[in-house]
Amino acid sequence: MSPEVLHPATLEETLTMLEAYGEEARPLAGGTALVLLLRHGLIAPRALICLEEVSELQSIQFNEDHVWIGAMVRLQTLARSPRIHTRFPVLAMACGEVGNIRIRYQATLGGNLAEADYASDPPIALMVLDAIVWAQRAKSKRAIPIAGFFHGLYTTALEPNELIVGIQIPYPPPGARMAYLKFRTRSAEDRPCVGVAALGIFEDGGCRDLRVAVGAACERPQRLPEVERLATGRSLDERMIRLIAQGYADQIETLSDLRGSADYRRRMIEVHVRRALEEVCNGGGAVGASAGR
Amino acid sequence: MAVGRSVPVRDAEARVRGTIPYLADLRLPGMLVAKIVRSPFPHARIRHLDPRPAMGIPGVVAVLTAHDFDRPGAPRLFYGVDRKDQPIVARDRVRYMGEPVAAIAAETPEAAEEAARAIEVEYEEQPAVFDPVEAMQPGAPLVHEDCPNNIFLHTRLRHGDLEAGFAAADLIVEETYTTPPASHAALEPHGVIAWWEGGHLTLWSTTQAPFVIQETLAEIFGLPRESVRVIVPPLGGGYGGKGYVRLEPIAAALAWKVHGRPVRLILDRFEEFVTLTRHTACIHIRTGVRRDGTLTARQVEVYWGAGAYADITPRLLRSAGLVRVVGPYRIPAVHVDAYGVYTHLPPAGPFRGTMSFEGAWAYESHMDTIAHRLGMDPLELRRKNILRPGDRFCTGEVIDEAFFLECLEAAAQRLGWGQPYEKGEGTRRRGRGLAIMMKSTLPRSRSECRLILRADGMLELHTGTVEMGQGAHTALAQIAAAEMGLPLERIEVIGPDTARVPYDATTSASRSTSMMGAAVQKAAARLKEEIRQRATPLLEANPDEIIIQAGRAWLQGRPEIGLPWEEILRRHGLEALEAHGVFETQGGLDPETGQGIASPHWHQGAGACEIEVDTETGKIRILRYCAAAYAGQVVNPALAELQNQGNVVFGLGQAMMEQIVFDQGQPANANLSDYPIPSLRDLPNELISLLLESPEGSIHGLGEMTLPPVAPAIANALFDAIGVRIRDLPITPEKVWRALHGDEADL
Amino acid sequence: MAMKQTFELRVNGRIHRVEAAPDRRLLEVLREDLGLGSVREGCGIGMCGACTVLLDGRPVSSCLLLISQVHHQEIVTVEGLGGHGTLHPVQQAFIEHFAFQCAYCTPGFILSAVALLEREPDPDEQVLLEYLSGNLCRCGSYLNILKAVRAAAQGRKPPSS
Ligand code: FES
Ligand code: FES
Repeated sequence: MSPEVLHPATLEETLTMLEAYGEEARPLAGGTALVLLLRHGLIAPRALICLEEVSELQSIQFNEDHVWIGAMVRLQTLARSPRIHTRFPVLAMACGEVGNIRIRYQATLGGNLAEADYASDPPIALMVLDAIVWAQRAKSKRAIPIAGFFHGLYTTALEPNELIVGIQIPYPPPGARMAYLKFRTRSAEDRPCVGVAALGIFEDGGCRDLRVAVGAACERPQRLPEVERLATGRSLDERMIRLIAQGYADQIETLSDLRGSADYRRRMIEVHVRRALEEVCNGGGAVGASAGR
Repeated sequence: MAVGRSVPVRDAEARVRGTIPYLADLRLPGMLVAKIVRSPFPHARIRHLDPRPAMGIPGVVAVLTAHDFDRPGAPRLFYGVDRKDQPIVARDRVRYMGEPVAAIAAETPEAAEEAARAIEVEYEEQPAVFDPVEAMQPGAPLVHEDCPNNIFLHTRLRHGDLEAGFAAADLIVEETYTTPPASHAALEPHGVIAWWEGGHLTLWSTTQAPFVIQETLAEIFGLPRESVRVIVPPLGGGYGGKGYVRLEPIAAALAWKVHGRPVRLILDRFEEFVTLTRHTACIHIRTGVRRDGTLTARQVEVYWGAGAYADITPRLLRSAGLVRVVGPYRIPAVHVDAYGVYTHLPPAGPFRGTMSFEGAWAYESHMDTIAHRLGMDPLELRRKNILRPGDRFCTGEVIDEAFFLECLEAAAQRLGWGQPYEKGEGTRRRGRGLAIMMKSTLPRSRSECRLILRADGMLELHTGTVEMGQGAHTALAQIAAAEMGLPLERIEVIGPDTARVPYDATTSASRSTSMMGAAVQKAAARLKEEIRQRATPLLEANPDEIIIQAGRAWLQGRPEIGLPWEEILRRHGLEALEAHGVFETQGGLDPETGQGIASPHWHQGAGACEIEVDTETGKIRILRYCAAAYAGQVVNPALAELQNQGNVVFGLGQAMMEQIVFDQGQPANANLSDYPIPSLRDLPNELISLLLESPEGSIHGLGEMTLPPVAPAIANALFDAIGVRIRDLPITPEKVWRALHGDEADL
Repeated sequence: MAMKQTFELRVNGRIHRVEAAPDRRLLEVLREDLGLGSVREGCGIGMCGACTVLLDGRPVSSCLLLISQVHHQEIVTVEGLGGHGTLHPVQQAFIEHFAFQCAYCTPGFILSAVALLEREPDPDEQVLLEYLSGNLCRCGSYLNILKAVRAAAQGRKPPSS
């Protein structure tokens, strides 16, 4: 049977509907993932709550100390936004790498996070940006730090009836350098074998803060704070970079799929963490670096 | 002249407007939708099958199961080229995951889906085998009980004294190469509309072989051929995948059961993957060579994994499976043993570059191994041994039109072979490689056509050649226009429709432009004769003084005395004048020795490339690729060029990424995300297409020639770059990386 | 659970009333209900681009959209380009540059190119690839497709053959 499709216009209406239908409803954002789940009979909700017209979810706001990205903002918008590109190049790059242009024009950041596909780019970038996912229910609202948002393959911290309303990202300090690397093993349109995001903040030749996230090679995107901390206050020289890359390779539990075995992926993490850090170091401009292929 | 010019394809405007009618665009009154119920297991006994729950579902019109074939007057359940081993729907056993066990015709797709879920089938799983070499071992599960060792055919080629050849060698090199199953992945899926009415069967089908379908279905249904009509709309890609009987029997049987209403069956992408694949091949190749590089003997054993049913494989093994695995070399002693082996995988069939792809992968990689062992330049080794005009091939036939060396040299030279180049450093290493291939086309096959000159001056060309994007109809119209001296606008192409056009064997093996083209030339000559005869009394002249050209008949030397063709027809009171053209190739190989004539002419193509490999990841980037084909006389340069580029792109997919992964017989990547095909960004940085023309040469089809060299050329360049030899396709970064860093892999 | 509903779709400048279940895919609505054969299913999962349509000018995969998601936007298919007897410059360029073989992929490529040129009249190679590389052509006509789109971008006549 076909589900009913509801078209709330406001957030309040949306949350009321979610409450009313309980687990029998599914929010419908861009739909690139949901439509396939429906088609393959993997989900059979009684209602789809289409978020297309919910005004509160559509905007990007550059606030005093953070940006707010509404859950329904399209990935292509993020990839092409000059201000996102200036402030958060790693996010623009990662969004620009997702699927193909049609997907990016349809898929939204909120939908992307809720799906929790292990082989997706934006979550990896959001990890190094210390993003906060705002989730709401009829009577409550909470902030979920991205580090705790992904629980595993296609599973997240979201509760039933909870809706991602937006993503808050603090501005990195000026001078932060970032890189996103996506490594594909088959066609250039393939999903990644490994994705690495890196962000470095430097001060007097030393590293004040280093953040590295790895995804696509494991069940959920991961950062390793103890390994990141090795660089704190030190110079990010070749030796240090190798040490960090090695740390990620050793500690992340990799998975096997058609894009590479677990062993291979472990080594590719090492290579690409190293390369991402090299880009961060040699990235030139104060903020930003180019995405590698 | 219409030949030799780049004119756009005839229906170009409809193609860019999106109005060209593919099968899925056809609508017939009362048309039903069909759905196939498929086995979820690679090998199982069917314990119980009950279609009744499906029959009660509203909108369901008919359900077909093997039971229906027991009724008197029913069609035959089994079909096949040599071995009638394949049931239209499984009776008591399924032999691959995805095998049809029932089919449903319903008013709507939803009803058909629901019915498919309602059918009750109880299976008892059986042990299964998936690799052809394992399938031959004693004790392996049997795919067909009457076929011990699962080998359904063993063919041989015996040429020269093999022992003496190896004895004369200074070095013997022996290697094994493999290729995995792959998917044709035409963007247009297979589809059929079948309609039974009053003892007549009409089929619209996405097939490359309408006359083969006609013959097979006439046999299945015990009908005279004329009672089966097959019409083929333009295809959205074929690549061999639509080359033989595929969905037609099941769709026709369902239509027979429905009776009176057309039934449409179109596969979804998943079904495409379990309907037809490329063969799984395992090739042992052993070559004797003297220190100076002269080849003395070659022995090849090939195990062709054909899947659960023999399908067209027996026909392929009698010639293609033997002669396409040797290579275009002068070798005094050659033995080939080809085995057709059953496995519990979906059936395998023709695939762009059929069996040449696998053959060239083995023999061209092997040639570089030999060159390396001898310390010789790979081009030099090939030069020394390559077939030249007048040389004898391992079938005993003399090759006259031999341009292998020219192809190879052209590609190599364009790449700058032998000149110093940047080899790269650190983790980026560069290398160069080349490869050549030799492919037979079909011997003993026939193409016919009809040319009809109408009283309005238009010329109709009736042909069974299928238009699948290769531009065959345009090229054939160009040939007809050139022969008759008419502008292209005056040619109308009709067909393929078995009720309207004369016989053609098949649109495959790159034979259409050449064979159908020759038939058109013959028909044109006859038509001119017909016109001449009719013009003779009107012009009151000797027939041999009359020139027939460009829409007129006139007296030699006196062009003012003449008549337009329309006028000649009018004066004779004729509606039309008609001429038939037939072109047939002879030949064939001795079944015991493989000696004889394998091909009326040979396809010849080479590739040379420069690659860069990232030694830390194993990832390869193709910097430059030169593809050279012997094109003979080129009918339409732009279309020829396009085909040649298409070969390289298709070949890159096969070389670097494509493989259907079966996990215990279940396809693990049966969609176009998990099974990647080449995209725009996968093209080489530079792709150079070279067509060797010879205006006196014959016309060749170009849709395959430069495809088989792609994989070995890349593998050879990889070896050149980093000394790593990959022997199993595809050449993935992980394989390259493992070959380089094998010991670290276990960390 | 929902039965069929009436939707108003704006396609190629006209309004169509369609009866459909709310979760019917746009691809099927356009092909089956509106008879727009240029919109084709290749992969059904957003990979190939054979089903590309423009939604308020943005290229999207109609195999991944439900009819309920699109009923307020303007949809354009290849049937809506050009006019009677005239072709859109991109269509013209595809013919002049032999940018297809079987042409199953062609409408999708043409729409991606139209979307591109509308946004970026003078695209560099990177943008060209950004818009076009998500459409697949199994026949491998890519080089000529690039040529055609570049030529359309420059509004240049092709070299005479
Ligand atoms: S069918 Fe929609 S992208 Fe392939
Ligand atoms: S021309 Fe055939 S798929 Fe592109």
